[in-house]
Amino acid sequence: MIGLVNEDNSRSTAIMGSLSVTDQAESLESLMSRYQQADEAAAAALVRRVTPLLRRYFLTQASNRIHADDLLQDTWMRLHRARHTYRPGEPVLPWVLAIARYANLDHYRKSSRRDAHERQVDVLPDPPGPAAPPSDVPDIDTMLSALPERQREVIVMLKISGMSVDEVARATSSSPGSVRQKAHRAYQKLREILSVPRRTP
Amino acid sequence: MTPDEIGRILAEAAHRALPEGGGDDRAAARAEAAILKDLHSVTPLAPSWLYILILVLLFAAAAVDSASVLGMAGLFALSPPQRALIFGALFGTASLAAVACSRQMRPASGRNLSPLAWLLATSLLALVFALLFGGYDLLHFVHDGIPCLVAGLSVAVPTGFAIGLLLRRGFVLDWSAAGLAAGVLGGLAGLAMLEMHCPNLKAIHVIVWHVAVLMVTCALGFLVGRVSI
Repeated sequence: MIGLVNEDNSRSTAIMGSLSVTDQAESLESLMSRYQQADEAAAAALVRRVTPLLRRYFLTQASNRIHADDLLQDTWMRLHRARHTYRPGEPVLPWVLAIARYANLDHYRKSSRRDAHERQVDVLPDPPGPAAPPSDVPDIDTMLSALPERQREVIVMLKISGMSVDEVARATSSSPGSVRQKAHRAYQKLREILSVPRRTP
Repeated sequence: MTPDEIGRILAEAAHRALPEGGGDDRAAARAEAAILKDLHSVTPLAPSWLYILILVLLFAAAAVDSASVLGMAGLFALSPPQRALIFGALFGTASLAAVACSRQMRPASGRNLSPLAWLLATSLLALVFALLFGGYDLLHFVHDGIPCLVAGLSVAVPTGFAIGLLLRRGFVLDWSAAGLAAGVLGGLAGLAMLEMHCPNLKAIHVIVWHVAVLMVTCALGFLVGRVSI
């Protein structure tokens, strides 16, 4: 079991700083294989490339938005412990997101249990995000909050993480047909939202 | 509006709200530092087919070994077609359970089988017994049934436990589903042992007491998995 290190990141920073252009261009699959072989540069490159994707995934999951950074670290610890289960040559993203969605689910379960025992005294506001320029389309929260959790998850993986239907099916332990069906229903709902005329501020 | 257009709008909205590189880099740096501190080489998990083979062999060994200790009276009481149908159905279901177990070991390795699928498989096994055997009188029903249930569980539970230990070599994400699959395979080992050992061919005895071994270990596996989350 490894613990999170809150200080003395100089070693990792040095490695991150030394990431070459080759590392940036290398496929995630190749980096993952090198990470299994304890290659420090590959591990650092993998963290740097996968973290933004994971953060986006957690930020789009409404239930755990304010805990995105905690979840990010928890997920990396799980990925590290599970790295021997990655099969070299197979796509990395479904494997990563399969672990991330269970980290998200476990966190949700734990917080639900805790909330059942604790009385909430105040509602904390969402952390302020970057100021978005005026737009004639609804913001991402409005669009995603209209979708049920399973549809939201599928649409985020397909359209925001850029995964294929087969990859999403692997990540969610479901069939490609089920993924297509959820995506189709999500498109119907999003079409309704987008067809409502909005006033430009 | 086409799905592609919706996707483009969604991606643009996501990019506006959650730009690339946005967020707290310290979280990533902390995760990276922790990973690098504990970095050592690992051997990738063996292919799924190997684990499926091991699990099926474990099922067969548990059933045959325990039946050979307790006696094979049941096997000799069955006709060749009954043997072929019963053990064919048991082997098929055990293979399915072995595939489900091996999928639980590796994230993103395939579709999970729902509890409904296991209920259907158990019902099909009960149907096979109902078609092959007759006799629904309740004479000595409980007296004859309890020893079978105990003998079946004494094989099924340790087998399920051994399968659980094997699953720990991987990285199980959903322990309730993994526990259920391990319970099914362990229960099938107990059921197969009873079919080889128990010479009581009354349909009501086999359907209730023998199949109960499978039902109990399924429930036990699921509950143990759920508690361990």
